[in-house]
Amino acid sequence: MKLSKKTPLNKVHHELKARMIDFAGWELPVWYTSILAEHRAVRSGAGMFDVSDMGRVWVSGRKAGSFLDEILTKPAQRLELGSSQLCLLCLEDGGILDDLWVYRLGADRYLLVWNANNVEQKLDWLLRWAGSDPDVIIEDRTRDTVMLAVQGPDVSQLENLKGVSHLPRFDHTQTRIGDIDVFAARTGYTGEDGFEIISDAANALPLWESFIRQGVKPCGLGARDSLRLEAGMLLYGQDLDISTNPFEAGLGWLVELDNGDFIGKSALLKIKRQGVRYKLIGFQMKGREIARSGYKIFKSAQEGGRVTSGGYAPTLGVNIGLGYVLTELATIGTDIEIMIRNKPVAAQVVNKQFYKRGAQNEPQRI
Amino acid sequence: MNPKEYKYTPEHEWICPEPGDKGRIGITDYAQSQLGDIVFLDLPAPGTQVEQSQKIGEIESVKAVSELFTPASGKVLEVNQLAIDEPQVVNEDPYRAGWLVRLELSKPSELDALMNSDEYDELEARLREESPE
Repeated sequence: MKLSKKTPLNKVHHELKARMIDFAGWELPVWYTSILAEHRAVRSGAGMFDVSDMGRVWVSGRKAGSFLDEILTKPAQRLELGSSQLCLLCLEDGGILDDLWVYRLGADRYLLVWNANNVEQKLDWLLRWAGSDPDVIIEDRTRDTVMLAVQGPDVSQLENLKGVSHLPRFDHTQTRIGDIDVFAARTGYTGEDGFEIISDAANALPLWESFIRQGVKPCGLGARDSLRLEAGMLLYGQDLDISTNPFEAGLGWLVELDNGDFIGKSALLKIKRQGVRYKLIGFQMKGREIARSGYKIFKSAQEGGRVTSGGYAPTLGVNIGLGYVLTELATIGTDIEIMIRNKPVAAQVVNKQFYKRGAQNEPQRI
Repeated sequence: MNPKEYKYTPEHEWICPEPGDKGRIGITDYAQSQLGDIVFLDLPAPGTQVEQSQKIGEIESVKAVSELFTPASGKVLEVNQLAIDEPQVVNEDPYRAGWLVRLELSKPSELDALMNSDEYDELEARLREESPE
């Protein structure tokens, strides 16, 4: 039996009587009071997630930038100090090892924030390509730091975050919250405005409590999942894995093929040239049934794909999902059926950005 | 608290006996607390004959789908339209407004073997002990 890893806030979650589950080897809250209430707090106010399960790896040294450019699908060296970007870590065959954020901290210093799954594999991958080069220093500080995602339309008015409310989207800075030193980035995974904050694990509790005092609602994995799904964001391990390539996942925009060489580039060039057989789509259910991950997708009684994420969209009041279908079924407006408990249930391919901040956000007319 | 006059199954359904060998069934407070926000119910059509312990429907919460089993055999007389239209009523009031199915019991003696509220209280306490929230 493998015991779950605990974040520096584990005790707080238990004290709040959160329902805890294992997620990618971490014991984390799935909800404190209700997924729907937590989802709505982030859409209309301010919510906070313990995302300490996300891997935090610092890469530094004289060759840190050129090393990252060799292994990432988008050049890190081009990032300005204080900015960040989403990109992919691909295998030689173009399969996705992870999607991750790269933050440029200094001339020769970067922070990678990646998903909690396959951590050992990813670290091994980095170490393998870095070799014994003394000019590339890789430090995994996941276990001695804490990471909070504070998300929602009201977060920039919080006393704690007033000092960083000027930060443009995706930018980051070193700052203080009260007397606590933190790294704060205007990034997130909810489709709302928000910040992600990293600090030493010893600061976890005072940091958490200061946000609680300012009325920020604790939110669990359930809302983290429903928020990102509504915003059409992919989840590694579910919508992406080693067997998917960026082009079928609709992530071609994260791959720069006209710059320098990187691992997987030649395979990706070939995949792009040949075209893909399957494509990731968003769909909306016509009725009230919910499509869950793994359900099959059909068109005219022919199997044509599978669901990778599915659920209720609280802001829209309909059921939505993501899945891979044959490219000929991937056009918006295509009627499909999802096999739910051996029964074909009607759905339609729609724009996968189901929810867009600042927009009307009604269900798509299907 | 789990109502005294109800009977319970290990799968966390309850049945409330009614005069004339009828009964309403639903899920327990413990069950709804485990499922979280309920968003969709798939219940059997009135007229359906069901056998004790048979799967008769599905309950979808935001997080997962789970099966509904009937605590007793009989014929479905009606289903709770309020719960179908507003499934959150099952979270809010699982023993009264959030009932699911009303049955005409074909074997009323089946109820004798179900758990009474004391026994179910005990089961619930044990389960909550095993996985503290």
